[in-house]
Amino acid sequence: MIRALYSAASGMNAQEMNIDNIANNLANANTAGYKMRRAQFQDLMYQNMLQPGASAGQQTTVPAGLQLGLGTRAASNEVIFTQGNFTQTDNPLDLVIQGNGFFQIRRADGTLAYTRAGNFQLDRNGNMVTANGDTLEPQITIPSTAQSITIALDGTVSYTLPNQVSAQKAGQIQLALFQNPAGLNSLGNTLYQPTDASGDPQVGNPGGPEGNGTLMQGYTEQSNVSVVEEFVNLIQSQRAYEANSRVVKAADEMYQQVNQLSQ
Amino acid sequence: MDPLTSIAASGLQAHMDSLDIAANNAANTSTTGFKGDREFYSTYVAPELAGSADPIAGESPVVEQPWVDFSQGLLQPTGVSTDVALTGTGFFAVNGPSGPLYTRNGNFQISPAGVLITSDGYPVRLTNNQTLQTQSNSPLVIDPQGEITQDGADLGQLELVDFQNPKELNKMGLTYFSAGSPQAGPGPATSATVYQGKLEASNAGGAKGAVRLVTLMRQFDTLQRAIKIGNDMNRQAVEVVARVGS
Repeated sequence: MIRALYSAASGMNAQEMNIDNIANNLANANTAGYKMRRAQFQDLMYQNMLQPGASAGQQTTVPAGLQLGLGTRAASNEVIFTQGNFTQTDNPLDLVIQGNGFFQIRRADGTLAYTRAGNFQLDRNGNMVTANGDTLEPQITIPSTAQSITIALDGTVSYTLPNQVSAQKAGQIQLALFQNPAGLNSLGNTLYQPTDASGDPQVGNPGGPEGNGTLMQGYTEQSNVSVVEEFVNLIQSQRAYEANSRVVKAADEMYQQVNQLSQ
Repeated sequence: MDPLTSIAASGLQAHMDSLDIAANNAANTSTTGFKGDREFYSTYVAPELAGSADPIAGESPVVEQPWVDFSQGLLQPTGVSTDVALTGTGFFAVNGPSGPLYTRNGNFQISPAGVLITSDGYPVRLTNNQTLQTQSNSPLVIDPQGEITQDGADLGQLELVDFQNPKELNKMGLTYFSAGSPQAGPGPATSATVYQGKLEASNAGGAKGAVRLVTLMRQFDTLQRAIKIGNDMNRQAVEVVARVGS
């Protein structure tokens, strides 16, 4: 009986976590470069009430034991790195990655972080930076007199100066690739940090044989959250929560009846 | 105790076990690859009363054994290349900490070392006792027979197993099953089909679970009334019948 109460409570806890996750996905439905997370659940330990082979009477033995489950737990909420839709912005510093790579970002504390959000800007020194002011790695500087900026598929950044015909090369953007991107640690601001689970980054030029993808200028990658799918998940999760709360109520009522037996 | 009370009390106890099972099913409606539990009721015959003139007096209902409902769960598309789902009977095999484990949860990942693992880090088994070692970061392609290719190169085939008698499987938690006895060793699955980019949802919960819950509560109610009636009859026997000649 108490088992039923706690199993149902674990189900309610799990669904609460599921709804937290859905809420965060929905809240970031318009965040460029955001990757949705999907909650995964697992059943818990089983309590053996009756060992297989135990005697069930004079002639019979139990062919299979009686195992009672003890509920569920949230196992993980992994990041799903499917490609988001592209929107055209015509901003020369907006980039999307067609492939599995990540931009490398040098954070204010000197560490490297990784992102799929390619909406870059220039700071006062002409460096390419994210919306938060963290610089792109390797650093790319464009002088204030530059007239047009072109970023090629392979990440080569070039610009033209006034009264000059030939383009100047500012550098080449490199992309990092992870063996298991689902194991990356989210830092917020669409930045990720490698962990033991994700493996170390393998850095290469865009369009290389590693499959880190090519760059496209003038587009941003939208969030890969599907609002319809999230709403379906929300409805399912809410109903599952309700079902578990019914079980709590049923356990309570049955317990109450047991207590009334002596009256 | 009179037979009515003791039989009804045994029924109450059995229904509490049933509620535990129903609660675990309800809690796991979102668990990928989860298979719901059901229970068999049978009668426990007290050995000293077996063969007596009034056998019913010695029979008490008990939950004898739960059985796992291995019916197919819905396949939900995820778009992730390392997510796989099975239709038909069969299981994925993985190398657990103490021997092989079997699961319907195909939420696999690739470890930093390039090995295909479950979300708990157990390597997924391929046929011929192999595990999958990726050659590059390119996405895996898995065909309906479980054959895995990457960049056109064949990396092996997922080991899909089936059991003659699935009743022999023990639930280990975390959606894993283990073979009950070494004799119950698995054979190759013949009717299983692998779907890439999908996960199999739990087959527990929904309308079935709600109906089961209502049934349990009503039966519990009936048994409780039976005990009350038994009590009343006993009281009447003591208070009214014994009042002879007063």
